[in-house]
Amino acid sequence: MAELHQEGGGGADFDLTQFYQIFFEEAGENLDQMEQILLDLSLENADDEELNGIFRCAHSIKGGAATFGFADVAELTHHMESLLDKLRRHELTPVPQMVDVLLESADASRSLLSRHQTGEQGEAPSTADLVRRIAELASGGIPDVPTRLPSQMPDVRTSVAAPQLVAQASAQPSSERASGERRLLIQIGPLEEASSADVIKELFRDIPGLGSIADGVAEDPSIRSFQVTTSASDGDLLDLFAFHVAKEQVVITTLAPDLALSTPPSGEIPYGFFPDAPGSPGTAPLPITVQAAVTDGGTLAVNKAVPSKVSEAKAGTQAHVESSTIRVAVNKVDQLINLVGELVITQAMLAQNSRDLDAAVYQQLLAGLADLDRNTRDLQESVMSIRMIPMSIVFSRFPRMLRDLANKLGKKVDLVTFGEATELDKGLVEKITDPLTHLVRNSGDHGIEMPADRLAKGKPEHGTITLSASHQGGSIVIEVKDDGRGLSREKILRKARERGMDVSDQLTDAEVWQLIFAPGFSTAEVVTDVSGRGVGLDVVKRNIAALNGSVEVDSSEGYGMRVSVRLPLTLAIMDGMSVGVGNEVYILPLSSVVESFQVNTEEVSTVAQGSRLVKVREEYMPVIAMEKIFQIPRNGSGKSSDIMVVVESDGSRIALLVDELLGQHQVVVKNLESNYRKVPNVSGATILGDGKVALILDTSSMVRRARH
Amino acid sequence: MQSILAVDDSPSMRKMVAFTLSGAGYHVVEAVDGQDAYEKAQTHDIDLVLADQNMPRLDGIGLTRKLREHPKFKTVPILILTTESSDQMKQAGRSAGATGWLVKPFDPNRLIEVIRKVMP
Repeated sequence: MAELHQEGGGGADFDLTQFYQIFFEEAGENLDQMEQILLDLSLENADDEELNGIFRCAHSIKGGAATFGFADVAELTHHMESLLDKLRRHELTPVPQMVDVLLESADASRSLLSRHQTGEQGEAPSTADLVRRIAELASGGIPDVPTRLPSQMPDVRTSVAAPQLVAQASAQPSSERASGERRLLIQIGPLEEASSADVIKELFRDIPGLGSIADGVAEDPSIRSFQVTTSASDGDLLDLFAFHVAKEQVVITTLAPDLALSTPPSGEIPYGFFPDAPGSPGTAPLPITVQAAVTDGGTLAVNKAVPSKVSEAKAGTQAHVESSTIRVAVNKVDQLINLVGELVITQAMLAQNSRDLDAAVYQQLLAGLADLDRNTRDLQESVMSIRMIPMSIVFSRFPRMLRDLANKLGKKVDLVTFGEATELDKGLVEKITDPLTHLVRNSGDHGIEMPADRLAKGKPEHGTITLSASHQGGSIVIEVKDDGRGLSREKILRKARERGMDVSDQLTDAEVWQLIFAPGFSTAEVVTDVSGRGVGLDVVKRNIAALNGSVEVDSSEGYGMRVSVRLPLTLAIMDGMSVGVGNEVYILPLSSVVESFQVNTEEVSTVAQGSRLVKVREEYMPVIAMEKIFQIPRNGSGKSSDIMVVVESDGSRIALLVDELLGQHQVVVKNLESNYRKVPNVSGATILGDGKVALILDTSSMVRRARH
Repeated sequence: MQSILAVDDSPSMRKMVAFTLSGAGYHVVEAVDGQDAYEKAQTHDIDLVLADQNMPRLDGIGLTRKLREHPKFKTVPILILTTESSDQMKQAGRSAGATGWLVKPFDPNRLIEVIRKVMP
């Protein structure tokens, strides 16, 4: 007894807050996983392991939330768990409404968790309606889904002010239910005669509305224990008990509400030991009534997880990943990348300086330098790969988004993804997510037609949006493709003229499609004639261009549209072509270089205002003299450049006039803006092997200037 | 120092349990599921097993059953952590050879209280 009291009072020693962060991360992962499985779930033949998987996610979150005192999350996930439990036991058949309500509940749980995480004050989002719908589904009904106002949409980012019901629930201490009832464990003792406490039970029962009382488990025969459900305060109870026992003899412990939710009254015992079980303390009281006859082997089978091969593999990977990954701050990785970048430059410098050494004399030194070259390159690749993360991180958000969008618009959309394992620099992944979201939303919103329209056009009812990622050379190409209505050349041209843009009918299709990226040019107006939300594709294009990327559009009216986004794999290192002009060296991004050739003077024609054009295989393109735009001094020779490098951007080409082609190499990109200031036609700088600085040309802006 | 094998697939619960038990002076071996626990049980000296019931790969009761097949674990106390203390669960635990059960959520003091009762 004394030991029990002493330990009961020792609760302050345990600070559970240190586990909150782990719990938040874990709950987030569980919610992600739950969402993933829910989205993949085929209702007609739901896999046992999938149902178990979703159940386990809800179960884990509930357990953690209850343990760490997040009663609102515990309550919501408890209801989810109850529904999922019935599903996995095949007591209910899954219907779409269940998936809907579970997804919404997952969102709501996320937003509740983020409130706890950020310590946000104010009213919590409402879960009352979700709980009602879950309960109705769990009892075999199909609840009405209220028409949701935007402000009631569950959303992780925006914690919206919620109806009052929840505010009440969440304002109460974690152990109280909405009714104000609490579940208590009341221990009375030590008593000379345990039965002397029976009067307390009777007294309790004699007072109407006080609540319910039942015998609890007591390990010490001199202690009497009761399980009580009541809305009375501790003080009131102590006053009441004081008629029969001393207040000092009464210990009131609040039980977690979760127990009340999940366990039947007969099971309201916090722990217990089996009689005769190995390791069981002989003296333990045994309040369990094991109904051996009632339970058959079938129940055992339900409790026992029957994991399929797939799940075993999955779980195995999870456990494996957990023990073999470490979390590292991004800035540490960046620092490492920076240092390796410096090393690459030093190595290039050594390689260049050693080029003229006599191989016979410096054999060992040269062999060492060759090793250094190889090791540096390997090191650089390994270090860069640390920052690489798979595109699946980005793609995984789209199934949910499209599902919600399709539901809202009454459309039917399937999402197909390819190349999820394609890796991309973390910095780029973060920056490409918003533009891609925009493009996918656009396809779903404006590209895919209503099911009836699709059927009328002889297309399948379900529209398909295909997302793919692949490596192409030193770039990654991400495509968003839909089989919707596509772009209309006439409408775009008409719209462009209405907006006062100077466009000719001679524009190629590619050039026409590029018009949709003009500022203020809404595809909504063009494609669907639905006015309203301007979609701001110009912003998408600008963001992608800022990443040294490009966007290409391909479309066929009535059949769909494809937007390809081409991005460098990383922003830190670039494949470049170095060209010499006078005494200067410039770097051209290799991805934009199309070809180079020795120019024949007869192929160059001069047009108005001294502009020159060159004809390359029946195509005329503007000629840019590098020495003019960078005002490079010529040292007397008067020799003019006669080599042209054709660069392409956004489907347009220009020819750059240079003196010589020096070579191709990887360059470490140094930001000019942060170290100096923005310079026209220049996107950055790098340090060459000989220690000189070379400017990296911004070919897309050069093309833009030349063409417009 | 007595060793406890703490098995839970939830990292936060596992850390909490491990922290609580280490604070109470026990050596804690952590395992992420029943299968992992079963493997670790072979290579560690374990005085008590504390296993979550609902876990992927191998659940608490399954783990109990497998451990009891080993002479080494014939008498080691095995406690099952569960959110449901239904008779079905108890029956399953009992027939698998578990020593007892503890209902989640529990507070750290309760955990130590229960452990002290069964620790040999």
